[in-house]
Amino acid sequence: MPQPEESSLPRLAAGCRWTGEGEQRTLLFPEGALRLQGTGREILERCDGRHTVLQIVQELQGTFNEADPGKIRSDIFIFIERLRQKGVVSF
Amino acid sequence: MVAGPLALIAEITHRCPLHCVYCSNPLQMASVSSELETEEWTGVFRQAAELGVLHLHLTGGEPLAREDLTEMVKSAHFAGLYTNLITSGLGLTHTRLKALVDAGLDHIQLSFQDSRETAANWIAGTRAHALKVELAPMIRRAGVAFTVNMVVHRQNLDHLEEMIAFAEALQPQRLEIAHAQYYGWALKNRDALIPTRAQLENSVRVVAAAQKRLEGRIRIDAVVPDYYARFPKACMGGWGQRLILIHPSGKALPCHAAEVIPGLCFENVRDRPLQWIWQESDSFQKFRGEAWMPEPCRSCDRRAQDFGGCRCQALLLTGNAAATDPVCSLAPQHFLIEEVLARVNANGAGGSAVQDAALPAEDFWAYRPQPR
Repeated sequence: MPQPEESSLPRLAAGCRWTGEGEQRTLLFPEGALRLQGTGREILERCDGRHTVLQIVQELQGTFNEADPGKIRSDIFIFIERLRQKGVVSF
Repeated sequence: MVAGPLALIAEITHRCPLHCVYCSNPLQMASVSSELETEEWTGVFRQAAELGVLHLHLTGGEPLAREDLTEMVKSAHFAGLYTNLITSGLGLTHTRLKALVDAGLDHIQLSFQDSRETAANWIAGTRAHALKVELAPMIRRAGVAFTVNMVVHRQNLDHLEEMIAFAEALQPQRLEIAHAQYYGWALKNRDALIPTRAQLENSVRVVAAAQKRLEGRIRIDAVVPDYYARFPKACMGGWGQRLILIHPSGKALPCHAAEVIPGLCFENVRDRPLQWIWQESDSFQKFRGEAWMPEPCRSCDRRAQDFGGCRCQALLLTGNAAATDPVCSLAPQHFLIEEVLARVNANGAGGSAVQDAALPAEDFWAYRPQPR
């Protein structure tokens, strides 16, 4: 299985979609749901098939500019790979 | 105030072109004339979403037997529910699938009875297998989540690897391998369905290997048979805790098989608001929480994990719905399960008849009939 690359375009897998607004915003998928806060949600909201992984990294490095950019980058790669394993994201 | 349910299981009809020998429908099926009307289901979906339900599972019988299914999906989607169609596929055409997806359907769960056509049709009591195989590519391309469900039991477990390979070729995102659960028709056919211990142990190994091999490609969820477990399953996530099931006629049940429990009156969505049924009705409160528990559940460390097991199974096997589920190794009546397992595993009792040259005659099974 390929790992995410900088040029990968992660998107929600078929049958995964958002519902609700604000704190109630929830990702729905077969037999489950995720209510994410903070960076997790920032990442997942950008998994829309239009942002490359590199763009997601750069945008979050910009938003969280006090955190270690290297750590943000590795966290994003790990998180996106985990979402793929869960069947929520494909690329 | 009790939290609302997370999922609604809507048994929209008991009609079904299949006659599966492990069907979870009750032995007394709902007649066609008693089924809720489209607008009544629409009201149920709206109320469910207001109660906090996220997922709707449309099941039956065969939900496609309802001609108004697309309308129902549309109203469920409009209410904000994530909508899953649990189907045999019979009655699905390209046009109908497109209409369902356009109406907002999110997920299709297609069931197969076996990887081998003759065996599959023997279990379903009808020739359905070839049609189902044809549907898979169409569903895969439809832009919805796609799950393949395979029920496993004594008669097919000896070729589980072949069944997984068959499912893999259908390219779903998710594969459910579910051991039959012994309620309804499956209880009637129990002794021919319960796997031997050797089959079960082998199946655990086969599933684990497949999960590893298919990781990231197809997610495999497996349901184990509780007769062989040390502790009972957390049936429905606890009585009246997470799920609500609506019977074709509108009766609200905490569990598929709950109707077998005598002395409980199940309220109907035709007469009462869903919120009242969930929060106030006697039937939903009866086994909610821990107050009803007998020993050894009451003082058990696991009581908040498995809730004393399944109330319907307790009733079916011990005659008392408030007994500890006898599958629990700590249950006073666990000997009932041990007796069944001793019989199933006696003198190298045969495994799968599907391996034999000729399948046993149809009177081997009690087939599920059609409702009136």
